[in-house]
Amino acid sequence: MCVGLSAKVVKIGDGVAIVDADGAKREVSSQLIEDLEPGDYVMVHAGVAIARITDEDENETDQLLEELL
Amino acid sequence: MDNSMKNQTVTMAHGAGGRQTSELIDQIFKTHFANPDLTADDAAVLTPPAGKMAVSTDGFIVSPAFFSGGNIGKLSICGTVNDLACMGAKPLYLTCAFVIEEGFPMEKLEEIAAAMEKTAKEAGVRIVSGDTKVAGKGQVDGIFITTTGVGEIEEGVSTSGDFAKPGDAIIVTGDVGRHGCTILLAREDFGIEADVTSDCAPLWGTVKAVMDTTHDIHVIRDATRGGVGTVLYEIAGQSNVGIRLDDPAVPVAPEVKGVCGMLGLEPLYLACEGRLVIMAPKAVAPQIVEALRKCPYSQNAAIIGEVTEEQPGRVVMTTEIGTQALLPQPGGELLPRIC
Amino acid sequence: MGEEKKKSAKEIIETYDGPPVRIMEVCGTHTHENFRLGIRKLLPEQVELISGPGCPVCVTPVGFIDEAVYLALERGVTICTFGDLVRVPGTNMSLAGARAKGAKVHIVYSPADAEKYALEHPEEQVVFLSVGFETTTPAGCLSVKKAKADGLTNYSLLVANKTMPGAYAALKGSADVFLYPGHVNAITGTSLCESLVQEGVSGVVAGFTARELLTALAVALVKFKEGRPFFVNCYPRVVTKEGSQEAQTLMEELMEACDSEWRGLGVIPGSGLQLRESWQEYDARKKYLMPKIEGKPNPACRCGDVLQGKCKPSDCKVFGKGCTPLHPIGACMVSNEGACSAYFNYGGDYSEHLRIR
Repeated sequence: MCVGLSAKVVKIGDGVAIVDADGAKREVSSQLIEDLEPGDYVMVHAGVAIARITDEDENETDQLLEELL
Repeated sequence: MDNSMKNQTVTMAHGAGGRQTSELIDQIFKTHFANPDLTADDAAVLTPPAGKMAVSTDGFIVSPAFFSGGNIGKLSICGTVNDLACMGAKPLYLTCAFVIEEGFPMEKLEEIAAAMEKTAKEAGVRIVSGDTKVAGKGQVDGIFITTTGVGEIEEGVSTSGDFAKPGDAIIVTGDVGRHGCTILLAREDFGIEADVTSDCAPLWGTVKAVMDTTHDIHVIRDATRGGVGTVLYEIAGQSNVGIRLDDPAVPVAPEVKGVCGMLGLEPLYLACEGRLVIMAPKAVAPQIVEALRKCPYSQNAAIIGEVTEEQPGRVVMTTEIGTQALLPQPGGELLPRIC
Repeated sequence: MGEEKKKSAKEIIETYDGPPVRIMEVCGTHTHENFRLGIRKLLPEQVELISGPGCPVCVTPVGFIDEAVYLALERGVTICTFGDLVRVPGTNMSLAGARAKGAKVHIVYSPADAEKYALEHPEEQVVFLSVGFETTTPAGCLSVKKAKADGLTNYSLLVANKTMPGAYAALKGSADVFLYPGHVNAITGTSLCESLVQEGVSGVVAGFTARELLTALAVALVKFKEGRPFFVNCYPRVVTKEGSQEAQTLMEELMEACDSEWRGLGVIPGSGLQLRESWQEYDARKKYLMPKIEGKPNPACRCGDVLQGKCKPSDCKVFGKGCTPLHPIGACMVSNEGACSAYFNYGGDYSEHLRIR
């Protein structure tokens, strides 16, 4: 239902952030996340950073499987 | 172009056939396109090549007309030269017709002509005839160019989209989707910035290097509109074969991947203007790739799949998790999506 | 034998030997990715993936497109929209059709770009087509706040945003396990999903990478086999229990619940959003005194049943014949994440031939 892209915050402005995904840069709204800093990773949807995230899915999934079995 | 024309724009008078038309032709087109076959007569008089001949025509409209890595002039030479090259033909002669919007800056027109001169020289092709029309403001978007080319097919070479055979390797001559991505960014509709340059390039030299390696080539096709994905579906249909694509092996520049990720687009469907898809027997494929990697426009050439008997007419991808999935058939306008 | 080798998520899925299970991909992007990655081909026969209503384009009723076409053609408004909506058929035409008749349709990546377009084109009246679920709604809200700050009088929203809770209630019986839409949960948190367990509704929150999707499915199957209702957040790097407080506050400030028509599900009370009275100058329906427009979907189209998991796209008479991605009849064939489009593009009808491991 929603294409999301994880991207790295490279610059912070007033209510906005410049994010970088593999070299593609775009200004997005940072108003939904408090205290965003350059270097943070965010999930971006329709020009808005909707969540602060960790960048890789490996630990997450490994841990879930570990707990499961 | 002398100083009197600088800072001028193209007017309806430049297309009316009188003194100003001559001035435009003399100052811009003749200056850049001059060669012994380009005369002031109504038609070029040429000696036909000894062997088989290839002819191709193509119209070029691109907005914006200037983009990172080229402009519509360079594109108009590359497009036709590459179509000829795909048939194994050495480009010999080219004609070009311009439709220019009233008010188009003269300096930009000269820049376009200069790019055509440079690209034609590199491709070894002569511009032998031309035409200029001026259309009223708003009737065309800046400038449209149509080029027609004639080439001489190398003896012993016969390529066609009909000739793909099960067991052929599929080679792409570089990373995909760069031109389409460049234009998308140049239109500035989506507020995205990325360091992406069009792959627009004349590829006769590339094809020649491949043919010098082997004549055992079944298909050469340049992936333009619709990208590599579209070309693969076209050939699967024409040759009635299946195509197995190894998704992780398809070269894509990280920036192109990033842009596509943001807009929900598939790089395989983005236009290229300097990429060939080559199909040839597996045995010769490594030599072809080796030869390609020595050429300036194909250093990232890679084998991306094979032709099969299964599921004729369809392109099946081996995915990152090792499963098989159909590549959706391309179609319609490329629209960025949020879902 | 020595210590048993740990199974990967993929192996867990491939060797599942529990009872038959129907898993609903609530989110259309999950449908799309599951096809793109060929995940369906890993599933044993007793596991069925059904596509749910989580594609904002697919559940948007025909009448909404008609309203947009009306604004564009009759009122001379510039429509700004996500690309997804451009080809969705209305009663008489799509927005692409309206564009061919001279309508101004501007495609944007973000509502922020629509607001910016309005700012840069004061001579035009601009309407943004605000569709989507909790993930997308905040973006539209932010654009309205920005328009207010910029003092714009030429920007408004045609709102068709929806919320998920009502849909879950309507769908309760349609599947054994829900694959919850990770990016909606990123905004809303997981409390609702957790409380649904009390009602016997099981589900997992899933992410969108291959690894995340496989893990979520593996967890769902293992838990289902255990036999008790369950909830697991399989997307913890993005989704927290609380979700985004900022986004929730923002939506609360600008929007209020209203009844809403879902294509296929009918009107679900309280499942839609509309701008509050204090923001009504940005409500295109009020601003343009929109007449009542009743859309008429093509009667042959079974998108409604597809969205409820009642039939597969290939069960629909027009699927692949009158209705293809190039000439779509229903919205599910238009949207990239629509179940019909995914089935068609990725060969749902060919899936048997493709069961190649």
